[in-house]
This record gives sequence, C-alpha cells and structure tokens, in this order.
Amino acid sequence: MDDLKVALKQQIIDSLNLQGMKPEDIDDNAPLFGEGLGLDSIDSLELMVLLERTYGIKIEDAREGRKVLTSVQTMADYIQANKQNA
Amino acid sequence: MRQELFIQSAVAISPQLSFDRNNFLKPAVYQQNGKLFAVDIEYRNYISPVAIRRMSRIMQMTISTAMEALKVAGISSPDAIITGTGRGGVTDMEHFVKDMIRLDEGPMNPTQFIQSTYNSPNGWIAMQSTSTGYNQTYVHRGSSFELALLDAQMMMAETGEPLHILAGCFDELTEEYYFIRGKRDYWKKPAIPTNELYQHGDTPGTIAGEGTAFFVLSNRPGNAVAKIVDLRILYNAKEQNLHALIKNTLDEAGLAPEAISLVLIGDNGDSRQRAYYQDLTTLFPEDVLGRFKHLSGEFDTAMGFAVWLAEHIIRTGIVPEECQNNRKTESDIRHILILNHYILGTASILLMSRS
Amino acid sequence: MSAAPDKIVVTARGIISSLGIGHEAHIAAIRAEESGLRYPEILSTRHAREFVLGEVRMDNPGLMAHLGIPPNAPGYTRTTLLSMCAMQDLLKEVPLEVLRNGNLALINANTVGGMSVVENMYLSFLEEHTPEELCQWLDTLDCAESTEHIARFFGLKPAMATISTACSSSANSMIVGARMLRHGLADFVIAGGGDALSRFTLNGFNSLKNLDRDPCKPFDEHRNGLNLGEGAGYVLLERESSALERGARILAVLSGFSNHNDAYHPTAPSPDGSGALRTMKGALEHAGLAASEIDYINAHGTATLNNDLAEGKAIQDLWEGRPPAFSSTKAFTGHTLAAAGVVEAILSIGAMHSGWILPNLNNSSPMQELSIRATIQGSSGNLKNVMSNSFGFGGNNVSLIFSKL
Repeated sequence: MDDLKVALKQQIIDSLNLQGMKPEDIDDNAPLFGEGLGLDSIDSLELMVLLERTYGIKIEDAREGRKVLTSVQTMADYIQANKQNA
Repeated sequence: MRQELFIQSAVAISPQLSFDRNNFLKPAVYQQNGKLFAVDIEYRNYISPVAIRRMSRIMQMTISTAMEALKVAGISSPDAIITGTGRGGVTDMEHFVKDMIRLDEGPMNPTQFIQSTYNSPNGWIAMQSTSTGYNQTYVHRGSSFELALLDAQMMMAETGEPLHILAGCFDELTEEYYFIRGKRDYWKKPAIPTNELYQHGDTPGTIAGEGTAFFVLSNRPGNAVAKIVDLRILYNAKEQNLHALIKNTLDEAGLAPEAISLVLIGDNGDSRQRAYYQDLTTLFPEDVLGRFKHLSGEFDTAMGFAVWLAEHIIRTGIVPEECQNNRKTESDIRHILILNHYILGTASILLMSRS
Repeated sequence: MSAAPDKIVVTARGIISSLGIGHEAHIAAIRAEESGLRYPEILSTRHAREFVLGEVRMDNPGLMAHLGIPPNAPGYTRTTLLSMCAMQDLLKEVPLEVLRNGNLALINANTVGGMSVVENMYLSFLEEHTPEELCQWLDTLDCAESTEHIARFFGLKPAMATISTACSSSANSMIVGARMLRHGLADFVIAGGGDALSRFTLNGFNSLKNLDRDPCKPFDEHRNGLNLGEGAGYVLLERESSALERGARILAVLSGFSNHNDAYHPTAPSPDGSGALRTMKGALEHAGLAASEIDYINAHGTATLNNDLAEGKAIQDLWEGRPPAFSSTKAFTGHTLAAAGVVEAILSIGAMHSGWILPNLNNSSPMQELSIRATIQGSSGNLKNVMSNSFGFGGNNVSLIFSKL
C-alpha cells in the first residue's frame, strides 16, 4: 500500500504537472481539491484519466469521481479495492 | 475601415528580442534552417503556478503578451478582448489527435481538448483581467488579426464613450506543422538561412515563423505615440488593384505619397507571390520600402509583428537597418504604410500615423 | 426629429441538421416531437453504440450528390459539405444574382474545421511520403477553408470572416454581420456556421464527462449531459431599407444582441448564473425591450449539470420567477456546436411564424434548485419577440433577440 501511495503521488504530480512538487510534499490524507492542493474540476477529470490509463479503473460519472478523489488515501483504497475485484 | 485606433501599448513575443523593446535587434536573430521560433520569456511572471502548469507554450505566450500590454497601458480590465489566430493551439491539437489514434479513442486528457479550442486563450485572458465585456476570436488565415482590428474599429465607431480594447493575435510553429506544410510547398527547399530570405526571391517557398502581439487600443489619444488610421482587408487580393487602393487610402487620409516615411511590405521571398509588390516604386521611392518577414518569419498573423514594429519605429523615430531599408537620409517618421499578404491569398493595407 | 435607425432584418435562411434540410422540415419534426438523435451510422467511432448523436442522415457522397458535385471531386470536408447544403437551402429564398452583384460579406463559423476528415489520415501526413490522393486534404484543417470553399463554390466574392468561439460561434457571426451592415461595410451579409461530427469532438467532450448516453434531458433534475450533433445554418441579413427596396420578404428583425464574457472558468459558467444574466440583460437593453416583452426563450440548454443550473437561475432571476415560455431544442438536434446559434435562431424564427412554442423534450422532473420550469408541451402562442441563447467554452456568452416586423 505504501509503495502504491508513493507511486500514485508521483503520477499525480506528473499528470497535473505540479512543478517543483515531490511525493513527500503531499500528505496521504490532505484534501486534493478545494483548500488542500487547490485542484479544480478539470484536474479531477485528468486524475480519472490517470486511473483508467495506469490502473485500468474506469469511473463512470463525475459525482462518484469526486468522492474517490478526495485524497491520495481514498484513491489508493479505491485502486486496491477495484484491483481485487478485477 | 477609416477609424482611428490609438495604440496605448504594443507588446510582442517574436523570434526577435521584441518583448523588452530596449533589446530589440541587439542583435537581430537569424536561423540557419528556415524556422524562426519565438524567444521565450519568463511566463511565470504573468501566470499563476496553479494555472500555468496545464498550459501549452502558445497559451503561456499569448496570455503573457496580453497581460503585459494591459500593464503597460495601465488598464486592469479591458472593455473588450478581440483576437485573431490562423491555426490556434497546434501543439494541443496534435497531441489530442495522436493520442486519440494511439489509444483507439480510449481515455483522453481534457486539458488538451479544451486548450485546442481557438478561443481558449481569450477565455483565460478574460478571467485574469476580469473582463466581462465583448470577446471575439477570428480564425481566418492571413486576415485573422486584421479582422480583429476591424472589429475594434467598428466598436470604437459605435460608441462615444472612452473605450479600451485589447486586440491581439497568436500563432505557433511546431516541427510537425512545418513538416506537413512542407508538403504543400510553403517553405524554401532546401531551407535557407533566414537573413538570406530576399536573396532567394527567385524560388518558391518562404521561411516559417510564430509569435504573439497584443495592443491596447482606445478612441482617445491618451499616452499613444501612434494610431491606426485606416485598414483595408483585400479578400480576393489577386483580383484587386493594389495601387489604386493604396492611392485611395492616402487620398482619404489627405496624404500625398511623399508623406509616407516608410512602407513596410510583407514580402516573404516567395517567387510566386512577389509580383504582388511589384512596381511600388512608381508610387514610392525605393528607399522608403522596408521589409519584416525575415525577422518574424511567415505565418497567418505576422501582421501583428508588423504593427508592433511600425509602432516601435514611430516611437523611437528610427528605422532599423535590419528592416532592409536603404534609407539615404533620416527623416521624421510621421506616417507608415503596411502592405501585407499571406501565402494563402489574403492581403491588407494599414495606415499608421504618429499620434 | 431624427429617423429611426435602419433595422437589421433577416430575409432568407438555410438549415441542415439531423432533422433534415429546410426550416419547414425542422418545424414539422418538432411539432411531431420527432427527435433526430440516434446511434451514429456514418461517423465511424469506437463509441458508436455508446452515445446517441444528432447525425445528419446523409453520408459525404450523399451530400455531394445533393449538391451536384462529381463524386471524385477533391477536398470537400463534411464541414464544408454541410455548410454548402445550408447555403443551397438559403438560396431558395434569395436569387444568387442579388448576392453576386451586391456588396456581400460571408461571416462563417466552425469549431474544428475539416477535422472530421483530417483525423482519419493525420498519421499519413506525418509520413515521409503522403499518398497523392490524401494530399488534397493537407490544407483543409483550419476553420477558414470551409468559408473560402463555400464562396468559390457559389461563385461569390464576398468580404469573408470565420469566427471560432466554440458553442456561440454562429451566434457571433450574426452579431458581427449585423454590425458590418450598420457600418456600411456590406449591404448583404450571409451569417452562420456549420460543424460536422468528428471523433476528435466526440472524444473531447467525452473526456469532459459531459455526454449523456441517452437522449439529453435539458432542465431536468436527472439530466446527465449533452448529446453532440452536427449541422449548418445561414441567414441573410440586410438593412430594412434594402429589403424593402428589392421587395424581399422580411422574415424577422434582429432587434437586439449581446456578447459578454463570463470570465469565470475555461469551460464552466458562473454557477449563480450571473454571466448568463448579464448577457440576456444586455440583449434586452440593446433591443430597447423590457423582459416582459419576450414571448419565448430558446435556451442554450445543453443538459449539462452546469449550464442548465446557471442558465435556469439566470432566467429565473431576470424574470423574477415569471419567465415567458422557454425550452431547449437540443434534444431534437443535439448540440450542433458552432452551428447551434444559427440553427436555433432559425428554429426560433420558425416558431414565431408558425405561432408554435417549441417544446423541451425529455423533461419529467423539474430541477429542484429552480422555481421555474421549461415548457414541455408544444402549444400555440403569439410570439412577437423571441430570445435565443448560446453560451460557449471560454465563457463566450451570446444572446440574440428576433422580433416580428
């Protein structure tokens, strides 16, 4: 799980081009949207592309997506859960 | 259209050192391979880190030029934002199309799609300058920027109120774009050093360029050093009598040809199009003609660079020798005529005067 | 006493969409509540059985045959063909000679130029040697190619402009055209636009998760997004004095218009509807009309979560909870992107003439955030002034008002 989270943080940084950030800078439970990293709705779509291309997980609608994308922890949990079901 | 547009500020990012005009042509920038890419600036000075991370180079270039033009003019929020582009966000379009093909229409990045829309930069500029006024984007090849200026003229004529309009243009060059257009014989083959452009005027093709130019225009003199007086867009250029139109433009402005200090022509060194500028010496002495496309390269909105250059020349009072102008004597720069064309058939006449 | 300004009037129109060709076919389909949405049969896409689209029922060879173009004539993109069909339809209401002899401007619009064709061969453009038969498409991608092609095809030599402001593009064409008439830069203006379905656009909107798989539900509580469509439309605009002088039938007056930027977000409208409200108010002021004088609003109504909330709120606020009948016709045609403004203007003018308020399909549950509701049933009405909204990406918001003379 820890390896997954570190990899995920790097992938988020790359996918959203968060220049100058490193995985250590992102707390597992920090909110990604709104206050935390200040990401917006287009970023949430980009993260869904990341999930689909890298982990083969497709989120069908934007509303469900927002819940999954709350933090790195929720994303990692979702990846784990859906990988097991695959 | 005859309508004065006072130029409160003029900013350009180009293959030359134009952004900081103190460095312009110190030295002139030439390239060996027929491609003039714009000189990048520190875009982070104009765009927040949150916004910039998604932006393509042309988007950063366009927004930075626009925001600097507003800053120089001392305007925070323009009444209108009107732009022209021939090709829009080429890099984003290329990425999206190729990804779509490669992934067989699988999961796609929304950012590239959004940024490939032609009016996407206008939206960003409006957000950054909180401008809720009129907003328009023209995408019509070599008349794209001219149409933006024409729209600005119409707007000025529609109101008696003081107006500040941000008008500009942007176009980018990519290796892929250069390669594809090479198949349509746009470029010299083989590619030539850009400073030798006019020496190869007997062969087809030209050199490629890119850039952005933005102007804050108003209907009051303000701090303007120069003003656009008249603009004619020639839609079916081959069939029109350029000389007659030039004479008409000057007559309507009450100017004799001798009053024109400089005629900047958009000669792009392409033998198939040079005839457009022939016999201008029947109207103007040879040492009044100048050229600019060896500095900017040829692209749909190169006229933006020409207008920037003309304003710079009126401002400094000096015609740089790099403008291929064989000036024998220095004279007062009061009126500049710009005659431009683009390889795909449009042309324009623009008269600029000291304000 | 000064004379009233010479009104800008509509004297001809041409339209093509998934509902067919011609304004009569369109109004008839709407009165019969027959939507043009279906799974695509012409656009070849991996998503063909996933999303209903407003696809024109003719393939490219069919469009060429309709226009009398030889089947192997080079370089006609679907965007250009649709636009030419709409022009040909317009020419039923004005003699070509009037356009050839007059001081004419053609203000066209599209969002992705010839992409519907170019996307299928883009990789071959990148190869060292592109097959000869594909070279005809090399310069068809940009937006202006259609415009110039249309002018050439009909033997016209107009002043030309192409506008590309996403979903509000052809609405903007009409604004720019009207202003050119006012300034005497033209005496006749053909204004409008066209867009063909493409995989580029379909996958682009899918990446925004803005698409409904099923027919869209504008202003419905359970709406899921938009359906893409394709089509083209043009109107002939001229000054009233010119129309009267040549004895032309005046279809409508373009009595007001407004273009204001939302300045909020690259793709989403300001959620409180303030952007949309500003634009609609601007059009009313320009027309010199009170809100109460509008008899019908053809809403932008894409059925996305964001648009319908913002636009719904704006309508509710501007009309203080008692708006005129309003509906979105996008469940009939799909969202025709650059063509939407002019297609929906022509539908609105058709509604005025037939005295028929166009219904909003697929609306069973009103939106909980609003106290107002779209018109779900077609009905008779005396429509003297109609408003048509088009709100595009980049916050480009346009409202037009058409009136009976």
